[in-house]
Amino acid sequence: MNHRCALLAMMVSFVTALTMTDTAFGETVYVAAKTAQMRSGKTSLDPVVASLKLGETLEVVKRDNRWLQVQTTKGVTGWIYSSNVSASKPAGGDNELAALGRSFRRTDASSVTASAGARGLDKASEGYANRSGITQQQRDAVDRMTAYKISDEEIQAFLKSGRLGEYAE
Amino acid sequence: MQNKSCRGLIVFGLVLLSTGSLTGCLEIQQVAENAARGSGNERLAKTIHGGGNLIGGLLPIGYEEEQTIGQAIALQVIARYGGVYDQPNLTRYVNLVGRSVALTCDRADIEYRFAVLNHDSINAFAAPAGYIFVTRGLLKTIRNEAELATVLGHEIGHVTQKHILDIIQRSKQIAGVAEAGLAFANKNPDAFKNVIDGAVKKLLDEGLDQSKELESDRLGVIFASRVGYDPTAYVTFLDRLRTIKGDDQAFFKTHPNFSNRLSVVQSTIREQGLQATGILLADRFSRSSNGTL
Ligand SMILES: [Zn+2]
Repeated sequence: MNHRCALLAMMVSFVTALTMTDTAFGETVYVAAKTAQMRSGKTSLDPVVASLKLGETLEVVKRDNRWLQVQTTKGVTGWIYSSNVSASKPAGGDNELAALGRSFRRTDASSVTASAGARGLDKASEGYANRSGITQQQRDAVDRMTAYKISDEEIQAFLKSGRLGEYAE
Repeated sequence: MQNKSCRGLIVFGLVLLSTGSLTGCLEIQQVAENAARGSGNERLAKTIHGGGNLIGGLLPIGYEEEQTIGQAIALQVIARYGGVYDQPNLTRYVNLVGRSVALTCDRADIEYRFAVLNHDSINAFAAPAGYIFVTRGLLKTIRNEAELATVLGHEIGHVTQKHILDIIQRSKQIAGVAEAGLAFANKNPDAFKNVIDGAVKKLLDEGLDQSKELESDRLGVIFASRVGYDPTAYVTFLDRLRTIKGDDQAFFKTHPNFSNRLSVVQSTIREQGLQATGILLADRFSRSSNGTL
């Protein structure tokens, strides 16, 4: 086995270790929303006790209609709206094969300029624009789209005013 | 994510690995497969085994690459469909509805961004990495926010299922060059252009496979329903399109006929037990789009 093969074997073990499912006792659910609020009671009027992130592990204490009483790994207990959790861990980011593939393909690290929410087209799409007669105005439009921000608070306020999600009657 | 530093290490290691020449692919594939099996990940081992040529092109496209591809396709969609309709309040409203639906979709970890195209046709498109477009003509046909939410849910479904990436991955062009990465795109700009143009042709001219469209129809009502929108709004909307255009000359030229779609959507609502919540939000829709369409 040569050097590179040994390295690859190491990599695969790492990736595998990362994607192992957590062992859990009782019923485990995962935060399935990009962000979700944990509240002190089972209505959207109850105060928020914690802000939870996508993929966080929660132990179910009990269920009541469309709300679940849950405990975080840090021991915080509260209620979460059922649409915000799922029984299976959401796939976050690239899966292990995509990560392997990306890394194999990336032989020129300097070519990577794109990042989520960053302003500006990346080098390859800029190159595509140059070869395809894309106008500056059209480039700016994609640029603005890429950078377009709406805060979590604004989305929550929008849901609330529409009585959507956990703000349903 | 909590594993960021570990992940960084892996990527670093793999970058090191890939700086050598890529000979002995088969050997590497065997090692990767054995390593995966040895550490108890039989599923990964099987995937590597089934991959044939492990290196480069046949591995799934990662998010970073997806963004590059998404941007390039988005440029072409905007160029071909009249440019982005510059109405800040309308853009914001469409983004609020779209992001509300995306919040609990099956791929909630990436950014979704929505724009209105200044075009009279009734169309909607999704490019990889969450670049989603609806035409002004489509918005004119819509009656309430729940209809918009299900339409955007359909487009989000194309992104969660990576439908365009799947087409790119299967294309002979990619298999031929064996690499689709950013380095490849920068070093072979003409080949990258061919790949993107091929995907754009499929998206805008030929249309995706019927099975992909029906899958997105199912996901559209499921995602919108998770937020509380009434999923039957999508039935009303598809039915309206069928009335306007009929089944023969598909109005969404890139989509299967409406009767087929309607029956798939209705059975999804039934089988998944999606609640007819009555939340349509017609007022908010007309207030938000009022005078701008
Ligand atoms: Zn579609």
